[in-house]
Amino acid sequence: MNEKDRHAIIFRFVLTLLVILALNFFLPRMMPGDPFSTTSSDVQGEDIVVMTEEQREYYISYYGLDRPLPEQFLVYLSNLVQGDLGQSIYYKMPVIQVILLHLPWTILIVLCATALSTVAGVLLGTLSARNRKHGSDRLMMTGLIGFAEIPSFLLGLIILLIFGVYLRLFPLAGAVTPFAHYTSVLDQAGDIAYHAFLPVLTLSLAQLTGVYLLTRNTLITVSTKDYIRTARAKGLGEKTVWTRHALRNALLPVVTRTGFMIGMLMGGAILVESVFSYPGIGSTLRSAVVGRDYPLIQGILLVVAVSILLCNLIVDRVYARLDPRAAD
Amino acid sequence: MFYHLGKTFSRFSTEGKIGICGVSLIILIAVFAPLLSGYPPEKITGKSLEPPSAAHLLGTDELGMDIWAQICYGARMSIFIGLAVACIAGLGGGALGILAGYLGGAADQLLMRTVDVLMALPSFPLLVVISAFMGPSIANVIVILVFFSWAKPARISRSQTLSIKSNTYITAARNFGAGPCYLVRRHILPEVLPILFVLIISITSYAIIAETGLAFLGLGDPTSKSWGMMLHYATGFRSIYFTPFWQWWLLPPLFALIFLLLCLAFISRDLEQVLDPRLRKNGGA
Repeated sequence: MNEKDRHAIIFRFVLTLLVILALNFFLPRMMPGDPFSTTSSDVQGEDIVVMTEEQREYYISYYGLDRPLPEQFLVYLSNLVQGDLGQSIYYKMPVIQVILLHLPWTILIVLCATALSTVAGVLLGTLSARNRKHGSDRLMMTGLIGFAEIPSFLLGLIILLIFGVYLRLFPLAGAVTPFAHYTSVLDQAGDIAYHAFLPVLTLSLAQLTGVYLLTRNTLITVSTKDYIRTARAKGLGEKTVWTRHALRNALLPVVTRTGFMIGMLMGGAILVESVFSYPGIGSTLRSAVVGRDYPLIQGILLVVAVSILLCNLIVDRVYARLDPRAAD
Repeated sequence: MFYHLGKTFSRFSTEGKIGICGVSLIILIAVFAPLLSGYPPEKITGKSLEPPSAAHLLGTDELGMDIWAQICYGARMSIFIGLAVACIAGLGGGALGILAGYLGGAADQLLMRTVDVLMALPSFPLLVVISAFMGPSIANVIVILVFFSWAKPARISRSQTLSIKSNTYITAARNFGAGPCYLVRRHILPEVLPILFVLIISITSYAIIAETGLAFLGLGDPTSKSWGMMLHYATGFRSIYFTPFWQWWLLPPLFALIFLLLCLAFISRDLEQVLDPRLRKNGGA
């Protein structure tokens, strides 16, 4: 990758980030009204406070809402850099804390699903490419492509209904058994894995087809190359040819895809977590939407969007390192 | 006309034929919903949470509304939102792409940079935030989905226009005095439209999925009874999984959605091959 391309990628990253920040900043301000124009009730919901014009002006200037928009935007950006995402209305604590509380669960299932679908996809893809002329390849193709058309949260609902409700094999909600006492760390890890199993399975199945098709198609292209014939001609066994010569070259695009997959799974996790009531940021987003907790909604969007963008940026850089041809 | 349609139909694979029949069935249900449903979908016509019976084919929900009626009217919502978004985004984006490809220069650069940024944006999280602020209504959902889905048709029709423009027969036609309108109508549109048509079908499923996802999160139009809203209410019902209610409340919208999406996928996969063999060659971008 030359200097110019790299600049173009970083420029696009910054531009996209700015668009997201601007959307996040201007959307609430484009809505009619302001936080003080309506009568507001206090916590009990009984006493209705009506602000006088004087009080209203005071609060508007107190929160800096009377200053010009570009200035407000700069203040917003500097707060962001300091990790200040505002105050959650529902949780009554800083948004950043709410997110940090739930983000680890999302990261856990996203990373597990990425690993699982990559390994399974490569295995199935290799199997399929090796048996290309047989019926098992066709069967796998049709089945997996059909799977890919079902959006992950609908697939999640089906999996939940089968394994959680009908067979009662797995828990319906949560990430740990409530009020459980663990005898050992292993015990606790087992409980977490037990609860994470269905969400991870759903997310993996949703991404499996992509990895599978990519591995299968690249392997088939690679297997017609001359160096494969050379490897066979010098007497290497079929197994060595497939693993050391074909698969190693075919894995390159899979690596790139894995990076993008993390980004896609972050987006997909929002709905899948809601299905399983898994306490990651996806479920938090759903409850924030239901409770109209706008600062929290915005904070979660920012975290998810930035992590997706970062994943894509990293993939671009890693790819250049892995493939010397792309670095030229 | 009918002969031609029949011939096209026979070129579809078995899956494609199933897809066409399935989508036609759902469109028929949507069109004739008032005749088929038997009950109005938002009226309380029975007891709360009745199991399926002769009076209520698929039972009733928590408020005693007929579920079969909701499925029929929900088909209207899904089909309408899907097609509206796909047609506006597909044809609008396609027109912009052709224009940019034809004109070139600054307009082209501006459009392509916009498309780059739009395609890099993580669409679902943004969809959630924008619709949370704009408020739940069908019109808003359509506007937001169009905003996020016109980029791909624009990019593809632009690249197609560019490659067609470089053909010598275009230069020849221009030398014979063909104007821009004539060139676009006679040479560019016939080449670009089939590809746009395939894209419109895939945008339709994208829009249906996105609408369902938003509704599932609670961002759908609360007055509408779309399939996504049915899922939202059913999964939001306390202890739905501990009672047999999910069997007739949750399963029908779930199966209806999956059936519709699979049919659309079958059609679009076949269309790619029937209408335009070139799409396979250059990979659709």
